[in-house]
Amino acid sequence: MMGRILPIASAVVADSLRRKVVYVVLVFAALLAFAIPSLPDYGLGVQSAVFREVALALAYVTALVVTLSLAANRVPAEVERRTVYNVVAKGVSRPEYLVGTWLGVFMVAGGAMVAFTIIEQAVGYITYGEIMWQLWQGAFAVWLEMGVVAALAVAVSAITGPVVVVTASLAALFIGHSRSTLLGGEGALELSPFYPSLDAFNVVNPVAHGSGVPLVYLVSMAAVFVGMAGLSLIVGSILFSRRDL
Amino acid sequence: MSDARDDTSAAIAIQGARKAYRPIVGAPLRDAVCDVTIRVAPGTIHGLLGPNGAGKTTTLKMLLGLVKPTAGTFMIMGADSTRPAGRRDVGFMPEQPYFPQHLTAAHALRLYARLSGVPKDEIASRTSALLERVGLAGRDRVTLDTFSRGMLQRLGIAQALINEPQVVILDEPASGLDPVGQRDVRNLMLALRDAGVTVLLSSHQLSEVETVCDDVTIMNAGRVAAEGVLDSLLNIEGRTSLRALVPGDALPPDVASRAENIAVSGGLWVFSVPDESVRFVVDAIDDAGGRVVSVMPMRDSLEDYFARLLAMTAGEVGSR
Repeated sequence: MMGRILPIASAVVADSLRRKVVYVVLVFAALLAFAIPSLPDYGLGVQSAVFREVALALAYVTALVVTLSLAANRVPAEVERRTVYNVVAKGVSRPEYLVGTWLGVFMVAGGAMVAFTIIEQAVGYITYGEIMWQLWQGAFAVWLEMGVVAALAVAVSAITGPVVVVTASLAALFIGHSRSTLLGGEGALELSPFYPSLDAFNVVNPVAHGSGVPLVYLVSMAAVFVGMAGLSLIVGSILFSRRDL
Repeated sequence: MSDARDDTSAAIAIQGARKAYRPIVGAPLRDAVCDVTIRVAPGTIHGLLGPNGAGKTTTLKMLLGLVKPTAGTFMIMGADSTRPAGRRDVGFMPEQPYFPQHLTAAHALRLYARLSGVPKDEIASRTSALLERVGLAGRDRVTLDTFSRGMLQRLGIAQALINEPQVVILDEPASGLDPVGQRDVRNLMLALRDAGVTVLLSSHQLSEVETVCDDVTIMNAGRVAAEGVLDSLLNIEGRTSLRALVPGDALPPDVASRAENIAVSGGLWVFSVPDESVRFVVDAIDDAGGRVVSVMPMRDSLEDYFARLLAMTAGEVGSR
């Protein structure tokens, strides 16, 4: 199975490397990272914390743009251009194709996160003389959340076009981060365990203002990632398997 | 028709294929393909013919798991080809071969080789051998966005053969190729057959089908309109075709009274007579000082047969 998933993933990575969008987003984000220390409302003593918080937000936006630009269009474009015919006719199952596509997007998002975090580290060190290792934890959380977003986007893209995929993904992000707002009442809080919350990936406070994220929390975050991404890919695979190409 | 009458011995066996869809939500189901049964014997070239919209491509897509059949069974080499595992020994070239444009020819073939499970140590050698075989030697490092339609077509054939399949399904393989390319494709199909590979060829090019196919299935309006060995479909029973050099500007009267489909050029007469008159006609031409050049069973051209069949089945479809 992996013998068929990995070539598809590596094709997605190769395709994304030739796309300008990934580089443009990364360069733009790097320029903004260099501009963070010049923000006017920096308070004395909290500069590095604010830097980390803004850097995390930038990393999040960067990863989101990269993820959605790749995940939303890949499957619809391959179906429309019929490049998927050669793949499916070779005995690749549709779930394998979908998972391979997702894995490729996830790997590119990971590469973008690594590149951007290195830049953040460099800027942080140059500006504050501090190695901000917590930013790697933040990047890891953002990467996992993007894995969930990519899985959802790929699943939705199995049956519809890029515009709907982006809209659905942004709606899911909004819902995923609005549990406390949407389930405000006490009765509604009982629904809380069933709510598709993405709050598990929100590690801004410990990364920016605390002393980092405990290992056990990182592990539990990875478990949430596996569950949510896996569920999305299963649903996407079922939908894609029922579709005529 | 092939000699394989049961699904287990056939290289490709499609039984009762049906694809129905709703043009719009709530509308009644409409059949795009209905009750299509095709059997292809191992090691033969089988032509799938039909006008646009006949259901050929939909049938092939169902066979390859690209379209979900409403009904029917689809077997390739005894395995259910609607399941991924049943397609791993198959090569397929779609009507218009599309590839990721940023890849080079070699990259593309390597990708399909990996997807097909070709052993790693064989990928490079197979890639270069196939590029040479389809006339793309020296183009392995060229990106596909610079390839012409004909070159993409050749690459499409190469990717279909990368896993050395036992069954090859080609959808309009000569489309977009120049005459030399078309000849190369014909020779390639014949070479595959010689090597024991089964070829299912969907084509509009009747001359191509007539040249290479052992037997054919003709589809119209989503159904099988005719099937069988080409010779038995095209031979016109009861009539024999003669070519003869006859002195003067007319056939002998006894011959002319029996001849039909008469054509003459430069003293060479081509005409048909009833089978039972052949001996008499040959003698009559001899007596008149002429010379019989050839005597053979009268055979329709595939074009004429095809046109007549479609006109006939169009009437049937209209009356259904």
